[in-house]
Amino acid sequence: MVANQQEQISNYFLEQAKLSASSSEELDNENESIPMELNTINSSGGFLVVSTDKLSVEYTGVNLHGHDVGVIQANHPAPVKRLMYYFEMKVINAGAKGQIAIGFTTDSFKMRRQPGWEANSYGYHGDDGLLYRGHGKGETFGPSFTTGDTVGGGINYASQEVFFTKNGIVVGTVYKDVKSQLFPTAYEAQERLKQQSMIEKISLPQNVSYGIVRSYLLHYGYEDTLNVFDMATSNSVPPISLSQQNGFIEQDDMYALSQRKTLRQLIRTGKIDAAFGKLRDWYPQTILDDNSPICFLLHSQKFIELVRAGKLEDAVKYGRVELAKFFGQEEYKELVRECVALLAYEEPLNSPVGHLLKESQREAVADAVNAMILSTNPGLKDSLSCLHSQLEKLLRQLSACCLERRSLNGDQGEAFHLHRVLTSSKMEKH
Amino acid sequence: MSIFWVVRQLAYIQESMATSKKVITKEEWERKLNDVKIRKEDMNKLVMNFLVTEGYVDAAEKFRSESGTEPDIDLATITDRMAVKKAVQCGNVEDAIEKVNDLNPEILDTNPQLFFHLQQQRLIELIRNGKIEEALEFAQEELAPRGEENQSFLEELERTVALLAFEDVSNCPVGELLDISQRLKTASEVNAAILTSQSHEKDPKLPSLLKMLIWAQNQLDEKASYPRINDLSSAKLEDPAI
Repeated sequence: MVANQQEQISNYFLEQAKLSASSSEELDNENESIPMELNTINSSGGFLVVSTDKLSVEYTGVNLHGHDVGVIQANHPAPVKRLMYYFEMKVINAGAKGQIAIGFTTDSFKMRRQPGWEANSYGYHGDDGLLYRGHGKGETFGPSFTTGDTVGGGINYASQEVFFTKNGIVVGTVYKDVKSQLFPTAYEAQERLKQQSMIEKISLPQNVSYGIVRSYLLHYGYEDTLNVFDMATSNSVPPISLSQQNGFIEQDDMYALSQRKTLRQLIRTGKIDAAFGKLRDWYPQTILDDNSPICFLLHSQKFIELVRAGKLEDAVKYGRVELAKFFGQEEYKELVRECVALLAYEEPLNSPVGHLLKESQREAVADAVNAMILSTNPGLKDSLSCLHSQLEKLLRQLSACCLERRSLNGDQGEAFHLHRVLTSSKMEKH
Repeated sequence: MSIFWVVRQLAYIQESMATSKKVITKEEWERKLNDVKIRKEDMNKLVMNFLVTEGYVDAAEKFRSESGTEPDIDLATITDRMAVKKAVQCGNVEDAIEKVNDLNPEILDTNPQLFFHLQQQRLIELIRNGKIEEALEFAQEELAPRGEENQSFLEELERTVALLAFEDVSNCPVGELLDISQRLKTASEVNAAILTSQSHEKDPKLPSLLKMLIWAQNQLDEKASYPRINDLSSAKLEDPAI
């Protein structure tokens, strides 16, 4: 194995170690500003009176011609990184002529025209119930609306459609299959169900999930689980045979299984010195360079274990000998600082760096060592295949597909978050 | 008076929909894949969810100790559930019904269709074992009254009784009822009902995610040519078709 490939592999795990430290909320973070109030700066100016909460507006003009229109936008555009967006407004007073409208426009919209009359805008008009999109000629759409009615506008990012509601019911012909009372959330749930039932209809090759779970256990060296799982699947009715399915990929993953298991167990129980010892005996090439990321991860874990055991003085000594040299290097700086910071707290577990004392940190180090051992396999076909299990490859592909589709949809639509799927108990079909 | 809100890029979408497919090379795509961060902890949970839902209690136990992942259900309940499932798979339907009722009598009380299917399976097993008299008696006393309540039950009952009309069931049009797959179907139905009664999802999440992957790839196909994964079991990236 070439040195820089090894480096590539261990750098990947440095990143993983940092990843395990970050919270899932951070990963899911897709903060978008959402419309909260009316934009009082960019409106038709003197035509309007806005209430102090910036949620109600009154037109005080006289509307003599088509350019005498009072227009106000929200303070932010509709958020797009979701399945759909929906808002409502209540008509307090439609005025003498009843010319009131709701719609979507761009930020370059002329503020003295009705929404829908200009290009790139959509408007549902109260006086005639017509839908206007991009010009002054309306299409038959829904009922008219006036004082006392609540009307809503929404965008379905999955189907790329705009829809409007009157008093909670979708109007017009865009969604004629939806007849029930709709609130924003109810509507989203319905849309999601539709999508899910479509997905559930897709058929999978037989036993493919079993194969993926099996190769996951192999990849990470969960040997005991694997043995029990194999026994159970071969005893089930009918027996599930998986061995032929995976072909040569499995050969790669079988490599050094029991050694990998042993090292994982040592690291997971905090026995870092013993893990170093085994590596020295079995795979000395992986830890030749004491400044390598893999050695750094093991040293930092040893330091963490000393803190966990309350041996702070030993930790300080160990840190001076083994960790200090990493301080100056950019890629390690953050982790070293966090490790050392453990010393500053009386209760390190409840400190901001408490995540270092969690099981997931040990697991991350064990994963790194596992990958390093896999990379020593002389028969390895693809040098970077040791980094990812099949499951991870599939999940990354899923994630990338969703993101790519969103970016090709003008950055609109949902991303995929494994974490959310796992915490939602309703991934079920109806 | 007029009120409206702003959304950017609606026109932009329509524009991009009209243009031809984007081609993404393998290198570009691999870069995008590398930007995706999947947490190990979450993958472990996904695997644990599979083991637990599919009922691999020993494997789940081992996985807990090897990976530190906590199962989302009490592992003891899996053992009971699997005993019921196994009983149906082996044709001991009476035993299975008893075990379900020990577990939670409400399951069969609130689920007439499941109860009927279990009774139907019992009838099938009697016929399989050549107990013709017993089978007839059971059909008339236990199943026929239920058929009167429900048209689809009645049809199922008639279909099952038809097994008796053939000396050689291997050539019989309803012979599939004697197939192992019928047992498995009934077993998985009772398995799902027990899981639901324990307020756990009845299907593991992993297969749904694999379906979602196929769906997401198909969706993206409409917009772009990119390296697909066609073989889920090897997870191999194909070269994009141009």
